[in-house]
Amino acid sequence: MEISRKTMEVATAVLTGSVGALICYGSTENGIGWGPGGPEPGYFPFGIGCLILIGSLATLVQTFWKHAGAHPAGGHSAGAGAGAVPEEPFIDGTRLRLLVAFVLPIVAMTALSAWLGLYIGMGLYIFYTMRVSAGFRTLTSLAAALLVIAVNFVVFEKLFMVPLLKGPILEYFGIY
Amino acid sequence: MGNFGQLMDGFVVALTVHHVMIMVIGVLLGLVVGVLPGLGAPNGVSLLLPLTFTMDPIAAIILLTSMYWGALFGGSTTSILFNIPGEPSSVATTFDGHPMAKQGEAVRALTLAFGSAGFGAMVGVVVITLLSGWVANFALQFGSPEYFAVYFMAFASFIGMAGGSPFKTLVCIMLGLAVGTVGMDTISGEGRLTFGITQLTNGISFLIVVIGLFGIGELLLTIDEGYKFDGVKAKLSLRVIVRTLAELPRYWVTLLRSALIGCWMGITPGGPTAASFMSYALGRRFSRRGKYFGKGEPEGIVAPETADHSAGSCALLPMLALGVPGSATAAVMMGGLMIWGLSPGPMLFTTRPDFVWGLIASMYLGNVIAVVLVLATVPIFAWILRAPFTVVGPLIAIVCLIGAYTVSNHMFDIWVALAFGLVGYVFKKLDYPLAPFVLAVVLGDKAEDAFRQSMLSSGGSLSVFFEGSLVATMMGIGILLLSLPLLTTLFGALFRRGDSTDAGQTSRP
Amino acid sequence: MQITSLRKGVLTASVLTASALAVGLTGATAALAEWKPNRPVELVVSAGPGGGSDIFTRVVQAALTKNKLVETPLIVVNKPGGSGSEAFNYAEDNVGSPYKVYFGTQDAYVLPLGTKVNYSMKDLTPVASMVFDVFILWSNPKASGINTAQEFVAKAKENPGKVRVAGAKAKDADETVVTLVERAAGIDLAYIPYKSGSEAAIQVAGGHIEANTNNPSESLEQWKAGNQKPLCVFTSARLTDKTVVADGMSWADIPTCVEAGIDVKDFVQPRTVWMAADVPPEAVAYYTDLMKKAMDTPEFKDYTTRNVQITKFMAGDELKTFLAEQTKNYEKIYADNNWLLPASQ
Repeated sequence: MEISRKTMEVATAVLTGSVGALICYGSTENGIGWGPGGPEPGYFPFGIGCLILIGSLATLVQTFWKHAGAHPAGGHSAGAGAGAVPEEPFIDGTRLRLLVAFVLPIVAMTALSAWLGLYIGMGLYIFYTMRVSAGFRTLTSLAAALLVIAVNFVVFEKLFMVPLLKGPILEYFGIY
Repeated sequence: MGNFGQLMDGFVVALTVHHVMIMVIGVLLGLVVGVLPGLGAPNGVSLLLPLTFTMDPIAAIILLTSMYWGALFGGSTTSILFNIPGEPSSVATTFDGHPMAKQGEAVRALTLAFGSAGFGAMVGVVVITLLSGWVANFALQFGSPEYFAVYFMAFASFIGMAGGSPFKTLVCIMLGLAVGTVGMDTISGEGRLTFGITQLTNGISFLIVVIGLFGIGELLLTIDEGYKFDGVKAKLSLRVIVRTLAELPRYWVTLLRSALIGCWMGITPGGPTAASFMSYALGRRFSRRGKYFGKGEPEGIVAPETADHSAGSCALLPMLALGVPGSATAAVMMGGLMIWGLSPGPMLFTTRPDFVWGLIASMYLGNVIAVVLVLATVPIFAWILRAPFTVVGPLIAIVCLIGAYTVSNHMFDIWVALAFGLVGYVFKKLDYPLAPFVLAVVLGDKAEDAFRQSMLSSGGSLSVFFEGSLVATMMGIGILLLSLPLLTTLFGALFRRGDSTDAGQTSRP
Repeated sequence: MQITSLRKGVLTASVLTASALAVGLTGATAALAEWKPNRPVELVVSAGPGGGSDIFTRVVQAALTKNKLVETPLIVVNKPGGSGSEAFNYAEDNVGSPYKVYFGTQDAYVLPLGTKVNYSMKDLTPVASMVFDVFILWSNPKASGINTAQEFVAKAKENPGKVRVAGAKAKDADETVVTLVERAAGIDLAYIPYKSGSEAAIQVAGGHIEANTNNPSESLEQWKAGNQKPLCVFTSARLTDKTVVADGMSWADIPTCVEAGIDVKDFVQPRTVWMAADVPPEAVAYYTDLMKKAMDTPEFKDYTTRNVQITKFMAGDELKTFLAEQTKNYEKIYADNNWLLPASQ
């Protein structure tokens, strides 16, 4: 699977545009006028939302215009003379798979950590990446995971006294 | 003259074996908290605060400020090596520091950063020494319109510089402003843009935005680029360090300009973060090598680092003289002052000169110690970079996520950081400029407060921004900076029509 | 305008009951199974670093650690988000945890009145109220020409809506007292909120704003430097500290606002300590006792003297009555100011 740059440009502009619209809507709750004592709380957010919307629309138009101009003409209009070479995609299939393989475990770790606590979450994550992504032996990966947990525990809980989320399992074993 | 004599007395106070030991310990601790993005200088200071209750105030403040220097230096380290700014003020260091490190010159980048940071800090301390009496009075002249003008200047210097699509820049600035708006509004006490989500009432912390955009975003980019991480080639030799230090004086123009910007922003309420951004932007505009900024240009490291540290040093003065802390760290230290039985304020200089000048003298020493110690750590970091990305990558990811969590102990923040990571990755690939985004998050909220406070106190009349020489001058400079790119393009179009074909392509922050 | 029941007679009487109560409590703790924390205790502050509540918490931390009154480490955690509601929201997330103690002001019970917050008073167990911060009305004598409270009122009457008063945050203690002054003196002022009390004080010291309301310590240094002058204090009786501060004046020489013709009797800010709901009663007893002990340390006494606070320890039923009364008063002021949340009206 490959995602072209144009698709991504359009998707991003649509997304930022909807964020802008959302901000406009959200700011109406606070009053968007200019009162006797200067701007009301929603005045600036409303303006910000509108400008995001305008900027996104302009980007959208620019994207379509550029691509409409570049493709059929084949490089005459682009100026720098590089138009003959097809545009590099945003991301190709291999890279996308690599990226997803990197991001998904992180998301999984975050979801798990909310439930089991950060220490167990990070341990599982390190074990997974060492074993599956980096291809170390099970024992090595396990040792690495335990080491990471131990180092973090000592640094945060003991040295700097910054409590991280423990979760029910550590709580059960009386580790705090 | 009086100041000089008092400084000498200060050295007598600061230069005891006991105090120098405390400085070394403080700097080392600071380096540790600065390097770990989950811990910042405020964490370190609040950790040490209980220890200081039994110390005498001078030793206590030396410990805390030394830790602060250490953390400032440590913050630049992670900015350069992993693109994760350990401290908000070292964000601008990532722009050129990280590219240089990626090209295999990590040691050079670190040395440049630490060398120029040391220089900036020295200039800052000298300014404090010479101008201490004057600065306190000067800072009192800053009402809300002046505050706004300072932020406006910082903004104006930055807006014009972003290359690429002006619409994308607009979207980025505005998104940054919107992020800064989320949460409780100071002026009205109402929640804004929270959409009924509790966690959003607390606002979105700047640190989380930065960890996401830069830290996680960079990880994703690295994978996208096929795991290229050329730290392996980093030469460990002492020769590189020495050669780079010898290279520094060549950038004297940038060094001086940045130090001046830093001092100005430190004395006025701009603060180190705004100073480093402004210095980077002006460096890019006025340096002859400006168009190489963003690609690992030495001056792109020198400019923000110098300004950051000179502002950091200068900012301590308003804290002592007025009792208004310029940063979270300064706020914790100020709390400490009060617990030790000292009240920061204009009278502190007359009632406790030994304390004030002992502190200033310790700043000279503390910075020298910090530079030496931090240079000694360079080989360690260069060594970390040799590990394969499949091992280092997940570790960085964990460090980022824990960092996001520790900001205020919310799992929600980790999700926010991840979301900003994706945003950072996509934006960077599509040439949306991230620097204005970050600057807008830092300054937007403060600028809006100052603006609305000015409006409230003037009864809604915009003319307050141009009455009074101080505010009018600053606004004038701001407007000039804002229109400068317009003017230059105009002149450029008039005079050199022919050879400007790729002018828009060179800039990519 | 009556906010708290801190009238003189009540004050002495309730100090007596408080000490009697405390004796009773210590007795009670001994009777109950002795409870002690066996792990680090978080002291959660509803304000950012450097703020009034933060310093209060750190003083308690210092007093307890330095005098070895606790064996486990105490960790100060700042949760300033949402005007401090973040801290109490954290209590809601940690129901029943005896290892988290929350430090605040009146914010705990006032915040839910005017803002959408995700906790209610049911999520909090009151532990103690330790001291009261007083409020003082300050001016900049040089820049504004205002030297007394009478001059302040006169100037505000001449220029309705033009005399500016700075304070910390919106719809918080400072703005509340300003609205009380407006109503009592029949004047119209322009209130300008800043992020913190010290920031507001600097604006007045710099001559950008005419006046501000403040806790004494935040403007003390500027008073000494001659940049600010106290006009009147919002208590029913004068302060007791007679050490001369500046211009031959001591804290005791500042007139009360009632004396000065502004009928706002007692507007004081309690420094309160809370725990989450459903915590074991022996833990509450333990911390109540601990706070009482903290108050007797020299560190804490230094703190109250420096900040010119009124020391008054309240716990148990007395505290509950006090809180109920305070909440009712605030409800009325909020209703008068039209600040109440639409839902709770």
